[in-house]
Amino acid sequence: MTMTPAQPAAPPGARPPGAPAAAPGTDAPPAAPPARRGRLATFARGRWLRTIPGRIRAHVALVLAALVALLAVLTVAVGNARDSVQTIGHDAGPQVVATSTLYFALSDMDAQVSSILLIGRQHDLGSGYDRMLAAYEQRRADADAAAVQAAQLAGRDPALRQTVQDVLDGLGRYERLVGSAMQLDQKADHPAGEPPKEVVDAYRQATDLMKLELLPKAYNITLDTGAHVRQAYETKRTAVLTGRDWVIVAGAAALLLLVATQLYLARTFRRMLNPALVLATLGTVALTAAGAGLLSAQAGHMKKAKEDGFDSVLSLSRARAISHSAFADQSRYLLDPGRADTYEQTYLDKSLSVVYPDIGDKPLNLENYYAGLKQKVGPYRPHKGTAPFLGFFADEAAAVRNAREADAVQRTLRAYIVVQGDDQEMRSLAASGDRNGAITMRMGRQSGAISHFDAYDAALGSLIAVHQDAFTKQIKDADGGLRGWKAVPPAAAVIALLIVAGVRPRLAEFR
Amino acid sequence: MRAARPRSARRPFLRTAALSCAVLSAAGTLPACGIGAADEPTIAHKHALTIGVKEDQPSLGVKGKDGTYQGFDVDVATYIAGKLGVRKDRITWRTTNSSVREKALADGTVDMIVATYSITAKRKRAVTFAGPYYVAHQDTLVAPGNTTIHAVRDLKGRKICAVTGSNSWRRVIEERKIAAVPVQAPTYGACMDDLAAGKLDAVSTDDLILAGFAAGRPGKIINAPFTDEKYGVGLKKGDLEGCEQINRAITAMYQDGTAARLLTKWFGKSGLKLTTSVPQFEGCT
Repeated sequence: MTMTPAQPAAPPGARPPGAPAAAPGTDAPPAAPPARRGRLATFARGRWLRTIPGRIRAHVALVLAALVALLAVLTVAVGNARDSVQTIGHDAGPQVVATSTLYFALSDMDAQVSSILLIGRQHDLGSGYDRMLAAYEQRRADADAAAVQAAQLAGRDPALRQTVQDVLDGLGRYERLVGSAMQLDQKADHPAGEPPKEVVDAYRQATDLMKLELLPKAYNITLDTGAHVRQAYETKRTAVLTGRDWVIVAGAAALLLLVATQLYLARTFRRMLNPALVLATLGTVALTAAGAGLLSAQAGHMKKAKEDGFDSVLSLSRARAISHSAFADQSRYLLDPGRADTYEQTYLDKSLSVVYPDIGDKPLNLENYYAGLKQKVGPYRPHKGTAPFLGFFADEAAAVRNAREADAVQRTLRAYIVVQGDDQEMRSLAASGDRNGAITMRMGRQSGAISHFDAYDAALGSLIAVHQDAFTKQIKDADGGLRGWKAVPPAAAVIALLIVAGVRPRLAEFR
Repeated sequence: MRAARPRSARRPFLRTAALSCAVLSAAGTLPACGIGAADEPTIAHKHALTIGVKEDQPSLGVKGKDGTYQGFDVDVATYIAGKLGVRKDRITWRTTNSSVREKALADGTVDMIVATYSITAKRKRAVTFAGPYYVAHQDTLVAPGNTTIHAVRDLKGRKICAVTGSNSWRRVIEERKIAAVPVQAPTYGACMDDLAAGKLDAVSTDDLILAGFAAGRPGKIINAPFTDEKYGVGLKKGDLEGCEQINRAITAMYQDGTAARLLTKWFGKSGLKLTTSVPQFEGCT
């Protein structure tokens, strides 16, 4: 503390040289009470700024204000990040995924019914009468549980609540129709593949209700709640990124002000460095960089959780439900020859939505579909970039992020091609008039059609699990990142203290 | 000189702040330096809409002599626009033929298309589809006295209408390999005349189109649907918000009974089995 101010310092509060005296009677009201208002008037006149301590204080005030602004934008941005993790990772996101069970459960209920009616009295066909019946009951319970999730998500959205209610009401009607079809079926005691007309008619009513009313609504519930999540995600992610940019702006402002203060002190007091202020500057740089970096990382976690996790899990769950439903269209095709053409077409439509190979100008029928699948999808190795086909799996294949995903996609596609090969064989048996052969092929325990489908379902299940893991990991990382934020206010407080500590000795020189 | 210093000390900061704004904006991270987000263009907040419809499909989209459009598609589009907050008098209708639909959406000639526009995997690459607002099915129309055609397989050896540019007859003959005999005709209107004149046994295409052309003419739909045609609302690719809002509008249209009323209004007399429950949406991509 041997330094003296560079300029002959004016005594505190004195008028700096060269500054004009205030014009008398213009600034302060004449009748002002002397004490408090007089000081305010002096402050407002700004003459204190023309003194060195005054300027130091002004610098400090500005730096502290910038620091507070930095802290404020950080807090807001972190709040947004926390909201988005909560929504996608913990609340709505998992609930939306849970509602997708509704579509799957409903679709599989009808699939089990069609198989039960198809095998008639030959209870050992397929996965077995008892197991199919148990699966039906299980799916019924799953559907109820998923409907509860959907009702929770619907909250105060009346249209969505109505849709959920419609599904539950419809499910009651569906069960009654299935009950009467099952009763007729038992009474008929028919051999596999030969249900009497009244059984088929009763089943038509049930499956039409399912296809035309229940399944569309169940599907739309997941789409609509998913849309809400998407919107929340977009808004929050933009907010986090905008917040990050503001953190950079506020941090840069605080930094510039700190440097300006240093320069001012250096020039005024001929001291090169003020250690406390240097530390405060470094602290501000660190805080800004850490803040901006972590907000970027948070936005990155959310993006990966949303795209690689949430979106993929949802769309693959749809692909899985649609595949099960297509598989059931095979038994419906055999069960109801009167509608065989329709069921063949819906089978093709569903298959196309899962994998749609480019078949050029050839007519779009199953024959060309099988061929296209073998030619275009068979030799395909998943890698980033456009796949040579369309559909749910094409979107997944084009977005593979690592070897594990690529492997899982490829195994799923392989298994899918095997399932389609079975379909081709089953239909060619049916078309040649060998209905029994077709039924044995589709429902028999030795033929492999069911185990091939199970293998495909398992491969698809592990592909979904890969994305589920990615989701869980990103959300866990995001949660971890957010926990670090508790250190921010203390860090800012330390910086503020360093600033004050840095200028105090300089101010003390004027006392 | 000294008096000026405090102010000049602040100036570099302001200048640098502005500069960092400019740098950040240039890097594309800060759209307008923090003022609002970069929104995808969406029709969700528009106050006026240009809607593409057909002008030559009876009961779906027809342009009258006075220049006004009428039909199921027109009514559906008006309802959806209303739900988006666009009044009827703020809608501009534009005839949009099948061949120009993707282009019209991409270049903004129309904001949305409601014109028997089937959702397909290929089209989805270029168009964002809301809906479907109705799932039509390919069905078959026969002369009123016909008692031999009950399903599409019965068309074997029969003369069916092959409209130039339409895919429907191919779906029977090429996709299903049913050996029907295609008889060329320029339009479905001409098919109806041929059917009435006995030059044809059947006309097979989307049931709503059949119902529209058959209105006021003899003929019956056999109610043996064999395909699903998902009529979607076409939007510019990427307008997810508009798509999601339209899906909610369509849900409301079915929930409040408007869809059932409109279907009955336009197709009630055709003898067609109509579905009055909301269709399964495609999902906004």
